Amino acid sequence: MTTTIQPRLTQLFRFVRCSYANGVAELVYAFDDGEELVERIRFPNAPAVPAAHATAFEAALKLLHLIAGVSYYKAGVPPKIEVATGPLDNATAELLDQLYLHGLAEFAYRNGLDLRGRIAFPRGAAAPTVQSLSLPKRTLVPIGGGKDSLVAVEAIKSIGGEATAAWVGNSALIAACAERTGLPMLNIQRELAPGLFELNRLGAWNGHVPVTAVNSAILAVAAILYGYDSIAFANERSASAATLEYDGQQVNHQWSKSYAFEQLLGDWLHTHVASDLDYCSLLRPYSELAITRAFAKLTPYFDVFSSCNRNFKLLGPKPADRWCGQCPKCHFVFLALAPFLPKPRLLSIFGRNLLDDENQTAGFDALLEYQDHKPFECVGEGAEARAAMYALSQRPEWQEDALVARFYSEILPQLDASELALEPWLVPGEEHRVPLRLQAALAAIG
Amino acid sequence: MKFGGTSVATLSRWQNILELVASRRAEGARVLVVVSALTGVTDALKQLCAQGEPGKRSEAAKAIAQRHYDLLDHMQLAMPDTLGERLADLAKLAHEGAAALGELAWQAQVQAHGELMSSALGAAFLSHSGLPTQWLDARDCLAAIALPNQNERTRLLSSMVDTKADPALNARLAALGEVFITQGFIAREAKGRTVLLGRGGSDTSAAYFGALLKAQRVEIWTDVAGMFTANPRQVPGARLLQRLDYEEAQEIASTGAKVLHPRCLSPLREPRVPLLIKDTNRPELDGTVIGPEVRAHAPSVKAISARKGITLVSMESVGMWQQVGFLADVFAHFKQHGLSVDLIGSAETNVTVSLDPTENLLDSDAIAALATDLAKVCRVKVIAPCAAITLVGRGMRSLLHTLSGVLAEFGQLRVHMISQSSNNLNLTFVVDEEVVDTLLPHLHELLIAAGALRTDDSALFGPSWQALYGSGESPAPAAAWWHESQRPRLLEIAAQATPRYVYHLPTVRHQARELKRLAAVDRLHYAVKANTHPAILKALAEEGFGFECVSPGEVKAVMAAVPSSAPLLFTPNFAPREDYAWALSTRSTVSLDSLYPLEHWGELFRGREIVLRVDLGRGLGHHEKVRTGGSGSKFGLPVEQIDAFLRLADTHGVIVRGLHAHLGSGILDDAHWGEVYAQLASLAERIGSVSFLDIGGGLGVPSHPGEAPLDIAELDRVLREVKAAYPQYQLWMEPGRYLVADAGVLLARVTQQKGKGTLRYLGLDTGMNSLIRPALYDAWHEIVNLSRLDEPATALYQVVGPICESGDVLGTDRRLPEAREGDVMLIAQAGAYGKVMSSHYNLRDEADEVVIE
Repeated sequence: MTTTIQPRLTQLFRFVRCSYANGVAELVYAFDDGEELVERIRFPNAPAVPAAHATAFEAALKLLHLIAGVSYYKAGVPPKIEVATGPLDNATAELLDQLYLHGLAEFAYRNGLDLRGRIAFPRGAAAPTVQSLSLPKRTLVPIGGGKDSLVAVEAIKSIGGEATAAWVGNSALIAACAERTGLPMLNIQRELAPGLFELNRLGAWNGHVPVTAVNSAILAVAAILYGYDSIAFANERSASAATLEYDGQQVNHQWSKSYAFEQLLGDWLHTHVASDLDYCSLLRPYSELAITRAFAKLTPYFDVFSSCNRNFKLLGPKPADRWCGQCPKCHFVFLALAPFLPKPRLLSIFGRNLLDDENQTAGFDALLEYQDHKPFECVGEGAEARAAMYALSQRPEWQEDALVARFYSEILPQLDASELALEPWLVPGEEHRVPLRLQAALAAIG
Repeated sequence: MKFGGTSVATLSRWQNILELVASRRAEGARVLVVVSALTGVTDALKQLCAQGEPGKRSEAAKAIAQRHYDLLDHMQLAMPDTLGERLADLAKLAHEGAAALGELAWQAQVQAHGELMSSALGAAFLSHSGLPTQWLDARDCLAAIALPNQNERTRLLSSMVDTKADPALNARLAALGEVFITQGFIAREAKGRTVLLGRGGSDTSAAYFGALLKAQRVEIWTDVAGMFTANPRQVPGARLLQRLDYEEAQEIASTGAKVLHPRCLSPLREPRVPLLIKDTNRPELDGTVIGPEVRAHAPSVKAISARKGITLVSMESVGMWQQVGFLADVFAHFKQHGLSVDLIGSAETNVTVSLDPTENLLDSDAIAALATDLAKVCRVKVIAPCAAITLVGRGMRSLLHTLSGVLAEFGQLRVHMISQSSNNLNLTFVVDEEVVDTLLPHLHELLIAAGALRTDDSALFGPSWQALYGSGESPAPAAAWWHESQRPRLLEIAAQATPRYVYHLPTVRHQARELKRLAAVDRLHYAVKANTHPAILKALAEEGFGFECVSPGEVKAVMAAVPSSAPLLFTPNFAPREDYAWALSTRSTVSLDSLYPLEHWGELFRGREIVLRVDLGRGLGHHEKVRTGGSGSKFGLPVEQIDAFLRLADTHGVIVRGLHAHLGSGILDDAHWGEVYAQLASLAERIGSVSFLDIGGGLGVPSHPGEAPLDIAELDRVLREVKAAYPQYQLWMEPGRYLVADAGVLLARVTQQKGKGTLRYLGLDTGMNSLIRPALYDAWHEIVNLSRLDEPATALYQVVGPICESGDVLGTDRRLPEAREGDVMLIAQAGAYGKVMSSHYNLRDEADEVVIE
């Protein structure tokens, strides 16, 4: 039996239409003259959209349509993009051109594609003018099940801020973490178009998509719908660092968590949706190590959280149900927490000692950027990992563990010890877009 | 009689106590009841102590008082003076705080009120209910002794009591009445201050009273019938221990069993007062009797336990060799950092110790500080998280020879330490914590199978926890098909010729329909290696099954028997190139499980859709022990080679349509498939072309009587849960043995008998040549004398065949009726891996096959 590979031969990607009724947004796409691909996003207990917010809602919904299209566009990567409602204003087209190019950079690298010059959203329309909607002073905090969003939640709680724990999809892990926060919860459902799975079977291009951008757009719609004046993500400083450079192009696995994207989307929301809707990352000034240090104090979350991507959809009571112990996320979180927790406590979280397991050598080498590039995952910078490892190599309770001992004898002699201190990583940076109302929360993180 | 916190917290539980005490009275015994505080009250009192503000302390005291008012209300009793005084006392203590008494003495005084109040309340209730009961202040009876190693804190909050018999106390009580109630947990020291007995204090109080009064016995009434051979939460098949001696019980209690505090046994040992554990809710159950060793038993492992959260500290130095005081210096550091050492293992240049899990260990820098100190004198390594698996039984060293299977199991794991002390009561292995949950039930089974845990001795071992407390009604298993309805027919078939395999098709269909209840499964394939009889293949094709074959021969056998619409899978392992070439010419879906075929014969597969069999290995698969995962197994592509495989597939235009993994065999735990399924799904998400996941087979079929069958409804629930998370993939399975094992029996005839020493051998006209599973896998098959099914089983036989191999044994130690030459013997569960694995060895004729409806 042979198959013809159709998706890769398509010529045109079309944004067909989007609509919203009774809490359900329908986003419709198509390739060439093919069948419509319909994605549905369900907003629970959705109130009616107030008339005064109708324009803002339409604008947010349209952006969601345009951003969520990235999951479908990548199936064929056709040379032409068409928007049924006509050209976009320049700022919108620029946002999307950037997002599709950088957000799909890893996808392109993995598939041996070059998207430069290929992505051009139609532009030329006039930009709208928007004003303040006097949105209620409360914050949507996306919860991911990992440590970062929990640090953000606790920081907002510490200043008495009003917040809702929000997440997209039906992850039991995230639900358990959200529940542990004690905050009100908002669980939005996203149903990918079934036709996408069919395209995959027919040999579509596949790979990483900038899902944080999609979730951001969903939450922007939610903010207008339910009434929130801010969306506070928990993207840290190292999310802005490129994973590797390939043929002159920066490839960053987590580009949609980068400061560049935060600025683009934040400015766009101010100018196209509502001048008082803020989009920011509360953890932007901090390194991964600063965040793990803050998280090390949040004992009540230790038995529910997980940053592991492999065991993401299911969870059980045992550490091994939440931490696969094999993936870069497991490796990094283990390493980054180690300097800040008593060793037995850390090991009880993971259920095993990853640093005393020689099978994990290659994984940790990649984190340290030793003989390898940084993994395609949301993990800290190589220098951060090296600082954490160096700290452990100086501690008697760690230094005999297989990978710490190896670091000490093999890797450390090749490094400049003066660049391995932990402390500089704990100093917050200047760069952030946290609105005035929430800036006090920054102090709670450290 | 001692009753714990939950037993004294409600009216209905007190009515229970009333009945139990009255029944003991009716037997003529004089009764002393020891009670704990109402459940939660001791914790509330501790929190009160931690409270800095007098106002908040008073509030807390009020809340605690309210608990007692509420219960009084339910009992419809007026406030007894005894309780009123206590409440007033408590209010005063709460208001005043620690100043007058000193912090620790005040804490002891406050916490003592939990028991003082519950016992006062109980005295009122029992007396009012027609059982005159004297309230006794335990502090007037139990005198704490000062020990040299105690500090002020342990003296006051974790005290010990003198246990010499006290005839004066006996005399005093005799004068007062027949029924008494007193407090657990509290005593008085020489200066007259109230002291506490620490954790498990109420059990210990009961034991102290038992020793002082030289009681007939001490009864601990709790929520479970006694001690079990393992923690029932980990091993539902754990058996009730009906008899233990003090030392064994103490060892079991210290190594894991929560039902009894280990401290409460030593006071009873010298006065030889027996202790009985009973279930308050089910007093009819026998419970566990702990006493002096009464009569000699054959040595048996009594229990297996696991303690998690163990941290090992390994210290390495030549400095310790023949060095006076080295260990003393080292251990001083442990003491200094407040760490309690449990096990110790030593070599000439290494000492490894285990640390008990304590909050101090988890949340302070104690380990870091300890390691820093130790690093000055030796190399130190902290190994965690570990678990200590302990086998307990008197005379452990004499059991070692029975443990070979168990030791082999440990041979597959990282064992950090083995410890056995001179008291010969235990054998402890320290292993990685992550393996324990799956290992423990397996070891329990192995111990029984090896005859090391002799559950056949009904004097020592009672029913299983599952049988006593298992959820839901477990219906009595239906009698096997051969037992009643088909027996005359089987005798006829055997009269024509033996040995013979007989297959019962209705049983095959029944099993097939059971599996079809798995709504989450989109396609079922019969793994035909289990039994390739054409009638069975036809029957399963009619039930809608596909077929999984591992060789061209199997594919041909299936194609000859089933319609051409039935789906075929070709899942070989290390097959030659021509096998694949041939299979690709049929309608089979072909599986690959290594890089080699694509590397070397890639063009053979060009444009094909294939299934990739992966080995989830130990890393991803915490469900598995090393034995079946990882590089020790020849099956499957290791996960880390998947990317390379996909690149090869791309090069040759090969499409990976399915992912397949197979766990192993005989698995009775539903959760395993859920894990494999989820792991395959998460791998598949990285491969766009996959449309189905095949989670293999290995569905267990219970063999020993009383073993619980696989719960199909639960399995379906587990699978549906995963499917909801990954709806885009079809789910396939490949059961084999599950479908056919029970459907087949092997009929044989008695040839001769022999006595040798104490053993009696019963010879059959076939053995391992027809059925090799007992010899190959130590498999247990039920064996019956079909000619004498209704006669009493009085003989104990070793059932053997005619093959010239000492391994030609079909069953050991089988209770059967006295047999005669020519009797028809039936070996059950022989439908799977029976005939297909039989041989001509010794040039004995092969058993033929008969199919019945």
